[in-house]
Amino acid sequence: MNRRYLARRLLQVPPAVLGILVVAFLLIHLAPGDPILALAGDNGDAAYYAEMRATFGLDRPIPEQLVIFVGNLLRFDLGVSYVQGRPAIDVVLERIPSTLLLTGAALVFSTVVGIWLGLIAGARAHRPADLAINVAALGLHATPSFWLAQLAILTLSLWAGWFPVSGMTNPRSSATGLGLMLDIAHHLILPMIVLASTEIAAVARLTRAGLLDELSRDYVRTARAKGVKEPQVLRRHALRCALIPVATVVGGRVGHLLAGAVLVEAVFGWPGIGRLLLSSVQSRDIPIVLAVLLVIGLTIIIANVITDLVYVRLDPRIRYR
Amino acid sequence: MLRLPLVASIVVLVATACSPSASPSPLVTATPAATPVPSTAPIAGGGGTLAVAIGADPGHLNPAITTSGATHTASELMYNGLVGLDENGAPVPELAESWVIEDQGATYTFKLRPGVTWHDGTKFTSADVKFTFEEVLLKLHARTRSSVGPALDSIDTPDELTVVFRFKQPYAPLLQQLDVTEAPIIPMHLYAGSDPAKNPVNLAPVGTGPFAFVSYAADSEIRLKRNEAYWAEGLPHLDEVVLRIIPETGSQIVALEAGEVDWVWNVPGPEESRLDQDTNIEFLRTDRNPGGSNCVMTVSFNLDRPILKDLRVRQAIAHAIDRQQVVDNILFGQGRVAEAPISSGIPWAHAPGLSVPNFDSSAAATLLDAAGWVAGSDGTRTASGVAGVGDGTPLSLSFLHFPTFSRYGELFRTQLAAVGIELRLQPLDPPVFAETVFTKRDFDTNIISYCNGPDPEIGVRRMFDSAQIGPVPFSNAAGYSDPAVDTLFDQARQTIDTTARGAIYRQIQEAVVAAQPYVWIVETSSVRGYRLPCSGFQAYAQFAQAATCAP
Amino acid sequence: MSDSIPASVTAEAIVDPQAPQLVGLMRRRLRLADAFRTPGAIVGIVLSCFFLAVAVLADVIASSDPFGFAGPALSAPSALYPLGTDDLGRDLFSGVVHGIRTSVMVAAGVVMLALPVGLLLGSVAGARGGWIDDLVMRFSEIWQVLPRFFLVLMVIALFGPGLDRVVLVLGLTSWALLARIARAEAMTIRERDFVEAARALGASETRILVRHIVPHGLPAVIVYVALLVAQVMLIEASLGFLGLGDPNAISLGYLAAQAQRFLRIAWWMWFFPGVALIGLVIGLNLLADGLSDRIRSGG
Repeated sequence: MNRRYLARRLLQVPPAVLGILVVAFLLIHLAPGDPILALAGDNGDAAYYAEMRATFGLDRPIPEQLVIFVGNLLRFDLGVSYVQGRPAIDVVLERIPSTLLLTGAALVFSTVVGIWLGLIAGARAHRPADLAINVAALGLHATPSFWLAQLAILTLSLWAGWFPVSGMTNPRSSATGLGLMLDIAHHLILPMIVLASTEIAAVARLTRAGLLDELSRDYVRTARAKGVKEPQVLRRHALRCALIPVATVVGGRVGHLLAGAVLVEAVFGWPGIGRLLLSSVQSRDIPIVLAVLLVIGLTIIIANVITDLVYVRLDPRIRYR
Repeated sequence: MLRLPLVASIVVLVATACSPSASPSPLVTATPAATPVPSTAPIAGGGGTLAVAIGADPGHLNPAITTSGATHTASELMYNGLVGLDENGAPVPELAESWVIEDQGATYTFKLRPGVTWHDGTKFTSADVKFTFEEVLLKLHARTRSSVGPALDSIDTPDELTVVFRFKQPYAPLLQQLDVTEAPIIPMHLYAGSDPAKNPVNLAPVGTGPFAFVSYAADSEIRLKRNEAYWAEGLPHLDEVVLRIIPETGSQIVALEAGEVDWVWNVPGPEESRLDQDTNIEFLRTDRNPGGSNCVMTVSFNLDRPILKDLRVRQAIAHAIDRQQVVDNILFGQGRVAEAPISSGIPWAHAPGLSVPNFDSSAAATLLDAAGWVAGSDGTRTASGVAGVGDGTPLSLSFLHFPTFSRYGELFRTQLAAVGIELRLQPLDPPVFAETVFTKRDFDTNIISYCNGPDPEIGVRRMFDSAQIGPVPFSNAAGYSDPAVDTLFDQARQTIDTTARGAIYRQIQEAVVAAQPYVWIVETSSVRGYRLPCSGFQAYAQFAQAATCAP
Repeated sequence: MSDSIPASVTAEAIVDPQAPQLVGLMRRRLRLADAFRTPGAIVGIVLSCFFLAVAVLADVIASSDPFGFAGPALSAPSALYPLGTDDLGRDLFSGVVHGIRTSVMVAAGVVMLALPVGLLLGSVAGARGGWIDDLVMRFSEIWQVLPRFFLVLMVIALFGPGLDRVVLVLGLTSWALLARIARAEAMTIRERDFVEAARALGASETRILVRHIVPHGLPAVIVYVALLVAQVMLIEASLGFLGLGDPNAISLGYLAAQAQRFLRIAWWMWFFPGVALIGLVIGLNLLADGLSDRIRSGG
């Protein structure tokens, strides 16, 4: 049954992605703006612009362009970047590792720290530690990431001097191997923390609520009555069930982290696809925009499918048709 | 009128890249010969690593196929033009060692520097120059294509070290259009037979410039190393240059202060006074940028709009704008009030002392009253007997601008409100702005940074030429048309003598100031910031070719 | 029927509801204010009312034009300019006050679009079931899988900044969430005695919907409206920060974006708009928590 469900979910992916791309394509072409500046720069003459339009097929009617676009898409061809003059998919693939590193690190970091804080709060419910964590979570959840990023740069980078302010590597270092990894890790810490902050708050709140819920159940009371020590109660009994709600939101969090990455990459000069998307939209580099949306859409949809499967495994009460 | 002999006026020039030029003229007089090595120069190399902040990913590194500021900023260190331009805008030898101008300026013969090699060791010859112009610059470099292209007759290469440009008529601006920004030379042996816009060499370029390509990580950094075989003896000093892409100006400054980079292209005004306290940081002020030089922030009026057809309304708006406030509050001193349509950065063409409208609210009010725009009780003006405008129509104008210029809009909105004009701001990304203003012509007013370039023929003519009204981005935005002015521009292009040419441009400026199709707001300048111990920079082109970071 | 809805569709974030079969879980998750339940709710109500009052009375509180030149540029906070001035010499106090008004107006616009649509579609789907239910749920799924932030970003970047577009896009992408809540509520009561009684008395389905089902779902939906409003404000500010704000209306995001250039010179320019925004969002979150507690203890 689960296998059939998986197959059905996976079959839904291609049409969903195609739908997103076609909508985006139409949106871009119906919007005002002429990518010719990206293609040709300014100060050209009319004949030059006409030539460049013809070269990139921009002189054809939009329905025809759409047919060509979809045809090429089915052959995994997303066209050539107007700005860079090379295949859009290459340009995007180059940026994926850095965004993956940033969002992946933030996902792991927020999950670990969030669960940890949530467990502390839940285990010490209604005591000062719980109150402090609650207030902090509330504050983090309400703070816009760009504002937090500015605060972090001003305090931790500029005043304390602990972290570099931007980029992924130190321009003066020619380190390779381990040295390079350490350098990247040093640059990663601040953007990762900022990107993870909202999610830490969310995970902590979820974990706490889940734990409190489990702790109030009869079997936990029984265990306590039998004299089982509190840490064991937490570890043995409550933890697994308390984490189910955390697991169910992973898919949604991937989407949130990708959206947050657009802002965080902009502030920290992190060379990822979020920044690529922003600059490409501004210059109307349509093939790049569509390629980025393809990657983002695929990631979010796949994350959602995985979430659903994990959810089914974790909670045997749920069954999907 | 012409002081040049009819048959031949031969002017040979042999100079160093560093020699000051007395005459900022496009027709260069002979300067004393000198060796290209600065007398105090240390031996080449040993200058350490220079870290440079650049604001945008260049996408590719071929400056010949684009006028994009991002590509030029990132790539000019690797290339040369036939000539360079010194601090006064006068041509100095680069790949061309000397040149001769004949036929009243219709024929230019360049002697190329012998012994120059490309970074891959191949010999540089006149064929590279001919190929670069014919197959690349005249097809793909927007400015060179539209200015040199129509005037040029042919390019001949009688031998490996000689290039002859023949024009249909005398063509005065050429020497201003051969530097690395307007006409970088690229290697024929790597580009011949390919589509230069899609050639993979664009991502791993080979040039003749002071630094050679090492690596390019998209949106992250570009690494260059010293060109051991550079033609200028003793240069460059730096062993390595790393260009770091940091999109936010604020982050760039922070990186400069933290010592993560040594050079930023643009220190914003408010930061400049703060960084002044830092003894390790020095500044270099310039009007020249890789994306364009001598830029004048200019408000255009759409002359097709009934409200703006009335000269009195245009003059009233010019009077209502306090341009000093722009210099003080937006540029924080990094610029000057524009005194004439042509930038003071082209001193021989700039016409000071014209009657450009100054800030005068009461004059503005009087003009608007006279034009039939009556102020109501709340100060807003409405039409009363204005031709082509229904009575009672409020005086409300759209103002289109790039998102980065929003402060101009906000300032003008408040200034114009004081005389009863409403301004509706419309921030648009460059591609949308270009389409809305130049193709659809759907605007009342806008602001554009018109870069005059090193010669008025490059960046000024397009604003006034009646043939350039239409769908070409950043051409004649106002839709201004005056046959007399068109004729004057043609004359100026064919006049080699600078003084005579300057006089023609003065006539043009008098005419357009009287017609007021634009309001020339401010001439903007940029301030580069660098960090000691790095020193020895120039503000433009191959900016780090003589720099060193050794203490 | 409802079991077929994947958890991921509804698990967009902490503030989003779980699939309907998880209603109990969903409510548990919102118990943020457990530890200080009453004080939290009180703070939430006070903060929300405070900002609402500021928005309504903006012209009285800060009578000077937020766009007008008030004094010297970049002056630090003082008695004359309590929050300082910006680079054009405009009073930041007036800017923040009117910025709060703009944020509240954008949020109100989004709610006015999303609430009726979501409440009505969700109630009808829940009450009627069958193919209508399927249709509405499939349709709302599409809107929920689309990453909302990217959609808004694309629309604003492509069509140019404007508060109207922000309201429109956020409104159109937010109703689906509310519809799911309303649907879950409607399903719980459609078979209840008083609804059956109304039916037996010959009340039309429309009347039952309007009189019983919609009012029943409203409180639960309102909880999410408060959270939605908080999200809308953050998204609007983020757009402003990315340079996609509307310069014709002072908003907190626009102020924060303009402050970027003066991060090191004028701390007040980035500090106060951010603090105002955080206050607004905290207030709304606490309010939502308080409301959900009330509904649970009352229901």
